[in-house]
Amino acid sequence: MTDTQVLATAQQLGTRAMSWLHACYQGGWGRLADNTIIDLAEPNDVYKPLCEAAMASSLVLRDGVAGPQDARAARDMLDGAWEQLRGGDMLYERQLRHVTVTDPLETYAHFARVGYRHAALEELLESISRLRAVHAVEIQGSRQLAVANARRVIGLSHRPDWAELAARTWLGALPEPWTIAWSIAYQVTHTVFHLTDWGARPQDLPEPMRDYLRAWLPVWLDIWIEIGQWDLVGELLIVDACIGEPALGSSGWEALAAVQREDGLVPRDAEPIEDDEESAIRAHEHTAVVAVVAATVTLSRALNGAGPAAG
Amino acid sequence: MPFAETPLRDEYAAAVERVAGRTLDALRGGGGAAALADPDTAVPRPLLAAVRVLGADLFAPHLLTGTEPDGPTAALLAEARRVFPTPAAATPEAALAIAWQDWAAGQVLARTPYADTASAPTPAAPPGPAELGWQLWSVRMSQLSALALPGLDGPVHDAARTDTLGLARGTVRSMLRRDFTTAVRLARWLAWAGAEDRPPRLEVAPILERIHLVGIGAVRTRLELVVAERLLEGTPK
Repeated sequence: MTDTQVLATAQQLGTRAMSWLHACYQGGWGRLADNTIIDLAEPNDVYKPLCEAAMASSLVLRDGVAGPQDARAARDMLDGAWEQLRGGDMLYERQLRHVTVTDPLETYAHFARVGYRHAALEELLESISRLRAVHAVEIQGSRQLAVANARRVIGLSHRPDWAELAARTWLGALPEPWTIAWSIAYQVTHTVFHLTDWGARPQDLPEPMRDYLRAWLPVWLDIWIEIGQWDLVGELLIVDACIGEPALGSSGWEALAAVQREDGLVPRDAEPIEDDEESAIRAHEHTAVVAVVAATVTLSRALNGAGPAAG
Repeated sequence: MPFAETPLRDEYAAAVERVAGRTLDALRGGGGAAALADPDTAVPRPLLAAVRVLGADLFAPHLLTGTEPDGPTAALLAEARRVFPTPAAATPEAALAIAWQDWAAGQVLARTPYADTASAPTPAAPPGPAELGWQLWSVRMSQLSALALPGLDGPVHDAARTDTLGLARGTVRSMLRRDFTTAVRLARWLAWAGAEDRPPRLEVAPILERIHLVGIGAVRTRLELVVAERLLEGTPK
């Protein structure tokens, strides 16, 4: 069981992070430029953060454990992002033009999960998921899972071999745990996010992976707390909430709560926070997304047991 | 006074390295005496101090090969314990660690004609992982790695048997922090636990190989590495 002190800390951390994120978007951050075209010269500039904020918001609404203020903020951010994407038309046009890119599919899943639907895009996604070419694109194992989970959430008919996909990841090899590196840790966290659909399907995590994570998550959390990699600490807390009975105690939550700024910003690492507002948002928006998701999934798992099964 | 400019602690540290090196040679030579001192001359103080520091590990070549502790080494250790009484410790935790290291040395000496006349009481059992958390507990266990030898057994060993996961986590944590001295000492405990047929939790051989390849400076740490390798070779497959 997650103890109540952890839940209280998680709740406060998540609410503050949500409030900061919402204020950023209300303040004008996250607007796609009027001349944005479907070829997206700079996808990481605004498009990716916008989609990540939508993802966190969709999980807040899915899990339904947030207070009314957080739920309103989540709905507001989703509405705003959906509008930026021209009601899904931009995703549709981008996917129509680029058969094998996966970001329109992955982005659409966050919206579809909570009722923002685009019929033409779904028809298109159904069609291209029947192409061998789409499944043969050479991408990392954890990214393959992201694509598979997006199809599952949207409800497309394609049925992947989950066990095979899981086995093809770094985590699937149950590697020597002392070889993990920062970038690999992110692949591990994403493998778990997508296999369990962000904690909704903890039972879908293969048993050997669960045992492995229960053994080594505490070590990884410890070393990344020590060097102040707060973004990754947050991702590991999400993983802990996705694997069934949690393996981590309160140290990660306390560490994040201690570094969270009064206005809700959670620094991504131990470097000084940028003075300039926009640079600070760019640098730390992902960590706010992580904090919101960590809190939501942790509270949901504690309050609802297995949680709602998606898809 | 040819060494007048050598600080005393450097001289003592060098002696520890020399004694560890002799022990390592004996271990690699398949057991037997480490030939630490010329029996016909007075034993220098740094050498005696080093013998006291190495303690039970002086007999690793014997204990790992199932032979009896050799007389000259035992005599030297008994002399060292007489000349250097238990050192003062800065903290109660350090005092307990020293007490357990002394206990281990006393246990081995008890099998020789040089057993302590006034036998020290068995120290209190150290706090376990439930009280300390696996991080701190594993660091404390690394300080007691000289106890991870065949033929020694007590509450510290019971704790190692019971919580191999804590030892394994401590090993992985030390590896990731590039603290190879702590890592090798904990890997030694894991190898010991494996020889006791406890669940391994972690593959120890690749860790020892990695530490070997990365290279560790101190001879004393190399001694720990070779002890761990020997314990691992004794592990039932």
